Amino acid sequence: MSLPGEAGLREAWDYQPNTAHYDELTTPQGDVRPYWQPLFDSLKAAGPDDLAIRWKGAQRLIRANGVTYNVYGDPHGADRPWPLDPIPLLIDPREWSSIEAAIAQRAQLLNALLADLYGPQRLLHESLLPPELVFANPSFLRAVHALPVPGDIRLHLYAADLARSPDGQWWVLADRTQAPSGAGYALENRLVTTRTLPDIFRRTRVRRLATFFQAYKDTLLGLALTRKENPRIVLLTPGPFNETYFEHAFLARYLGYSLVEGADLTVRDRRVYLKTLGGLLPVDVILRRQDDSFCDPLELRAESMLGVPGLVEAVRAGNVAIANALGSGLIETASISAFLPGLCRSLFNEELKMPSVATWWCGQEEPLQYVLEHLSNLVIKTAFPGGAQDPIFGAKLSASEKSALAARLRAAPHLYVAQEQVSLSTVPVWNHEGLLPRYLVMRVYAVPGPGGTYKVMPGALTRVSASLDSTVVSVQRGGGSKDTWVLGVEQESEFSLLRPPSHIEVNRATFDLPSRVADNLYWLGRYVERVESGVRLARAVLPLLSQESDPGAASGLKIASSILSGMHYVRPNQRLERDLVSMIFDSDRRYSLGWIVHEVRSLAWLLRDRVSNDAWRILNRLEEGFRTSRPPESLQLLEASDLLDQTILTLAAFSGLAMEGMTRGQGWRFLDIGRRVERSAQMTDLLRHGLAGPPADDPGALSVLLEIADSSITYRSRYLTTMQADLVVDLLLTDETNPRSVAFQLARLTEHVAHLPESQQREGESSSRRRPESKLILGLLTSVQLADVPDLVRPGEDGLWNGLPAFLDRLSKDMRRFSDALSTSYFSHALPSQQLRHV
Amino acid sequence: MTLRSIHTTTYSYSEPVSLCHNEVRVAPRSTSRQHLLRHDLQITPEPENLAHRKDYYGNDVAFFTVIEPHKTLTITGTSVVELQPADAPLPHLSPTWEEVRDHVRLHRNPESLDAFQFLFASDYVKPSPAFAAFAEPSFPARRPILEGVIDLSRRIHTGFKYSPHATTIATPAAEVLEARRGVCQDFSHVMIAALRSLALPARYVSGYLRSNPKVVGAEVSHAWVSAYCPGFGWFDIDPTNNVVPAEGHLTVAWGRDYGDVTPARGVALGGGEHTIKVTVKVLPEISAA
Repeated sequence: MSLPGEAGLREAWDYQPNTAHYDELTTPQGDVRPYWQPLFDSLKAAGPDDLAIRWKGAQRLIRANGVTYNVYGDPHGADRPWPLDPIPLLIDPREWSSIEAAIAQRAQLLNALLADLYGPQRLLHESLLPPELVFANPSFLRAVHALPVPGDIRLHLYAADLARSPDGQWWVLADRTQAPSGAGYALENRLVTTRTLPDIFRRTRVRRLATFFQAYKDTLLGLALTRKENPRIVLLTPGPFNETYFEHAFLARYLGYSLVEGADLTVRDRRVYLKTLGGLLPVDVILRRQDDSFCDPLELRAESMLGVPGLVEAVRAGNVAIANALGSGLIETASISAFLPGLCRSLFNEELKMPSVATWWCGQEEPLQYVLEHLSNLVIKTAFPGGAQDPIFGAKLSASEKSALAARLRAAPHLYVAQEQVSLSTVPVWNHEGLLPRYLVMRVYAVPGPGGTYKVMPGALTRVSASLDSTVVSVQRGGGSKDTWVLGVEQESEFSLLRPPSHIEVNRATFDLPSRVADNLYWLGRYVERVESGVRLARAVLPLLSQESDPGAASGLKIASSILSGMHYVRPNQRLERDLVSMIFDSDRRYSLGWIVHEVRSLAWLLRDRVSNDAWRILNRLEEGFRTSRPPESLQLLEASDLLDQTILTLAAFSGLAMEGMTRGQGWRFLDIGRRVERSAQMTDLLRHGLAGPPADDPGALSVLLEIADSSITYRSRYLTTMQADLVVDLLLTDETNPRSVAFQLARLTEHVAHLPESQQREGESSSRRRPESKLILGLLTSVQLADVPDLVRPGEDGLWNGLPAFLDRLSKDMRRFSDALSTSYFSHALPSQQLRHV
Repeated sequence: MTLRSIHTTTYSYSEPVSLCHNEVRVAPRSTSRQHLLRHDLQITPEPENLAHRKDYYGNDVAFFTVIEPHKTLTITGTSVVELQPADAPLPHLSPTWEEVRDHVRLHRNPESLDAFQFLFASDYVKPSPAFAAFAEPSFPARRPILEGVIDLSRRIHTGFKYSPHATTIATPAAEVLEARRGVCQDFSHVMIAALRSLALPARYVSGYLRSNPKVVGAEVSHAWVSAYCPGFGWFDIDPTNNVVPAEGHLTVAWGRDYGDVTPARGVALGGGEHTIKVTVKVLPEISAA
């Protein structure tokens, strides 16, 4: 543990910000600002050791809850732990009320701007806004012009990035209008920070976030156009590879909505439906975290495979509402900011309450001249959203680069916008050396209330820079984040949505299960079981490797290696011991335990909104065990057996949670079907390869088989020490009371299949004959129940087992057909879509 | 004169399609010189629903969904249109191209604001210095705009080779400018890009040609260009045939480029490989009298 030494202890609170910037904690004279004093005193009183310990706890919580973000373009970037600093940013109540008023005004102004541009375009006709900003803007979606919008509200969630200049004034850096991210991270930051500093949080009067999310829910509920009583609201995500997928899953769970991907939705009769196991269910409101142009491959961006074909037409027909309204990305650009003061005066007859960072759109003569004369002091950006170029800092350009840029500006001035270089304020962040100043940008959020006035979240997502060398503040670029405490008393009763389950609509009825989710649950069940059987196999073999003097061990080892190679766990002609270690630890090797465990975690990630936090923690622990690097050769066997023991316990915990913690809905059913299918397939394979040799009642071999099958104790309690092949086969194959036997699995599967929903409503099917999966499973169960074990295991004329191999082969083939039939009946939503284009 | 057009689009699939959503723009719009008398849209298999609307540019769009599994989809639009002869302005009396450019730049009235939106880059048409250089010989200083437009059309007609398999709809106009070969869509995109590069508004017109074996582009859907001329309005010109459309051209839809007026597009679930066949017939309507 790296705690600061004695010297560090004395200096930990010695905080030295750069006086050229506004510092949130201290005045230019170096005094702690009064509203920070209580927090600062508490932290100081507790001491750095205490903070370090609390902080380690918080990091564990973040990892365990799987609070992550994805980094684009980084092969190892998938779900990194979310970086959160322990010290919150404090905001004084009076200052907050002016921020609040300014953000509410700005949200309302931008909403009015969208209403006009996607409607009568009066602002263009009256020359209040240059039409280039609309006509030349690739984000102006003509297909969604004049689409009906409930209450003329297009911004159902608005976000603004704010920064503070040296004189203490807050400025708007950027607007987020189509699918603003981060509100969920702000909430998660609050949950973690309050658990890290519970005593301090209790003593400080901090405004709560929950009412804001309740207001957001109310807004979305109010969007339902037809079925107002009990509308179905879904959260549409681009999928697990999106940067903020964690947040999508987190918000879906917190708000009580189904998390869906484009392929889970379909349009019929100009209505949107969710494809579920129970058929098509109407959808009333879509909370989308997908960009405008990706929402409908028919009318918007044709190459998008993420969207829902026909969605725009469904909106047009007034059958579904989308939040934020399609097309709202139009104004997510700096060039609009230059015109907001004038628009605010002409539309609302008021002054804009918070300025935007100074902005010049180059499409007009005067601003262009100004920009050309002041290139060195400005940041040049593309005028429209989606401009692939990074901002250009005029100060960093050489003379020749500058004149090349000036030529580009003159050639197509309307494509460029220039902004003043922003000076950011600093705030202390904690690292184990003490407090260090870092730049900050604060993202604030607003939702429309009744009557179209906006309510601002009393809190924010604060992001801090990675160092003082760069003013780039981005989690993508290595920065961090902070909870934001708005001080003051509550204006109304504020409570947490996470508190009473009764307030979250319990809308997870079993028939709501999207087919894609059922598919993933089925495979999660299969992979978890595959890990377990692999672990049991390895665990049974390991002791044999170190006990070669034992007379029974030689035949045990022989059968074990036959099973291991038959089931493709080890490769032929390799040293068994070394290959076994690789089969356990080498996660780059396909079908190694480490590899399967990684697959389990990836599947669970796809199901992040369906897997409980406890189950997620267990799966994280499972993967962590395998992720640690391979131990040195001398310790491998020892480490391996520890890891295997640990894994068995972790898996038992997962099964326990699944058995005890999941409602007996279709989700649980598919998870369990997956486990049963895999267990019966593994057991069948075990018998096939374990009894591949000539028939014999070899006690060494049979006891290894029982050990792998986790049935030794049952066997001994019945038959004591007598080892007989027919008794072993009976216990593992046909005994319906043994939870490890094939017969037991088939009996459970038969029950499950009987409870699956009828399929006539599913896509592309019209009749409801007896389903193939139901026929197959009945056939399998009957053939095992009727199997004549003593006859199967008697030596045949050729000196081999009489009928066992053929019987097991048939069993294994029919199991595969059963799995395929299930896929066809329930998971076949994944047919590829294609574009049909005129030529 | 009254014309009847029959536009048939047939999609054939190797595998059944279980669901498809489609959008077609095949109903001729009514304009100052053409009047749509009747329009009928036949779709096989029968669609689950069919809705007509006007798009952003005022074109008629039909949206429909087919849920019956099918391996062939046929869309037939039949229209009867009354056509007036075009009252072509005298090119040498039109305003100079610089006047047009400056007039539109100020966009002081609804008509010039409407024209203003056809000045910018769109998906298929990206103005560039190369296009400006290509346009310049047709637009010496103070030349009346329509003379310039007619000259540009003539240069495309004589300088480019009509070559049905040289390009696809994905071929960028800049490549067509280099290779100097393509079909009516390509020539129209080149001409529009050239005009927009001089800050002159230009739009893309999709339509039909009266069936005539001597004319290029008959029997399939056709495309040409419209240039803005204040005081007159929009002036149509067909660079593929180098003609000013008169009674042989039937306007269906207009927009910034092909992407805005694609005659038929759709998204299908399943279907495997697909092929598309399009036929267009435009014949004088024989009245019953």
